[in-house]
Amino acid sequence: MERYIGFAYLVVAFIGYLVTVRLSRQKARQAATSGAKSFFGVAPTFLAVFGLVGLLEVFVPPSIIERVLGAEGGVLSLFAGGAVGSVAAGPPVAAYPIAASLLAGGAWMPAVAAFIVSWTLVGFVSLPFEASMFGWRFALARNGFSFVFALLIGVAMGAIV
Amino acid sequence: MRRVLEFAKSESLLAITAALFVLAFAMAPARALEALRVGGEVLLGVLPIIVAVFAAIGLFNVWVDKKAVARRLGEGSGLGTIVLASLFGTVLIGPVYVIFPLLKAVREHGARWAIVGSVLTAWAVKVPMIPLEIGFLGVRFSLARTILVAISAIPLGLLLEYVMRLGAGEVE
Repeated sequence: MERYIGFAYLVVAFIGYLVTVRLSRQKARQAATSGAKSFFGVAPTFLAVFGLVGLLEVFVPPSIIERVLGAEGGVLSLFAGGAVGSVAAGPPVAAYPIAASLLAGGAWMPAVAAFIVSWTLVGFVSLPFEASMFGWRFALARNGFSFVFALLIGVAMGAIV
Repeated sequence: MRRVLEFAKSESLLAITAALFVLAFAMAPARALEALRVGGEVLLGVLPIIVAVFAAIGLFNVWVDKKAVARRLGEGSGLGTIVLASLFGTVLIGPVYVIFPLLKAVREHGARWAIVGSVLTAWAVKVPMIPLEIGFLGVRFSLARTILVAISAIPLGLLLEYVMRLGAGEVE
């Protein structure tokens, strides 16, 4: 499944480049350079995340994941998922593999959904930077509401999926 | 040595992971090797998706003039502009130190707070990353999350605008 999606998407990207090359060689070169730059920018994080996924699967027993993020925990698990996602700093691409191994380890789906959504929506680490851009009132309100939304989306996911 | 330290500081997650592996190899070499194998296998499985996603991001950066979009969003003020801004937000990819200043510029061009709030929420949708998300978490999960985050963008933006106007004494 993964392979199939990967290659399908590669074909789409390849066609995009073919079209771009025909329209403008310079633009195609710029696109490749900027894509490569973003890729190498996150490459160290990628290596780290896949290393962490390996460690998580081999060394962390599912019983611990189940206790902290399991369905039994209910609201507490949901809250834990949202909180971990909020303080985690890193590109969203790093969140998916971690979420997948948490699910495989017996975590409750709404808690994992809250984890993913808060990872992308709430930025505890970048709070001072956000405040310097938009003021503390905006930064605190946005992150606070976003955290609540992340938990609500988690609950909704549990009902839908 | 100093360069090593600097690298460890800028890539703290990698440094922490490396330290954990050193510890794991010292304590249980066989299981540490297994962890390395599992991690490597997962990485290889999604490598085509990762390469494709970043190739697409490059195309997006070249074809979409973010600054021009920012100027446009500053000029409109209706609900239509908020919807349009949110749609733009869903395909935005970039770290906070690129996106926040971009939206600050949008705000300085006269955009409502709702636009800044909605775009920041829609930014969490991350459409270009969806193939990767599907690869790890499945179509149903990815689809449900995408839709739920997308429909949250506008109410969250309006809510934030209300809070900001409340702070400025513009509403009771």
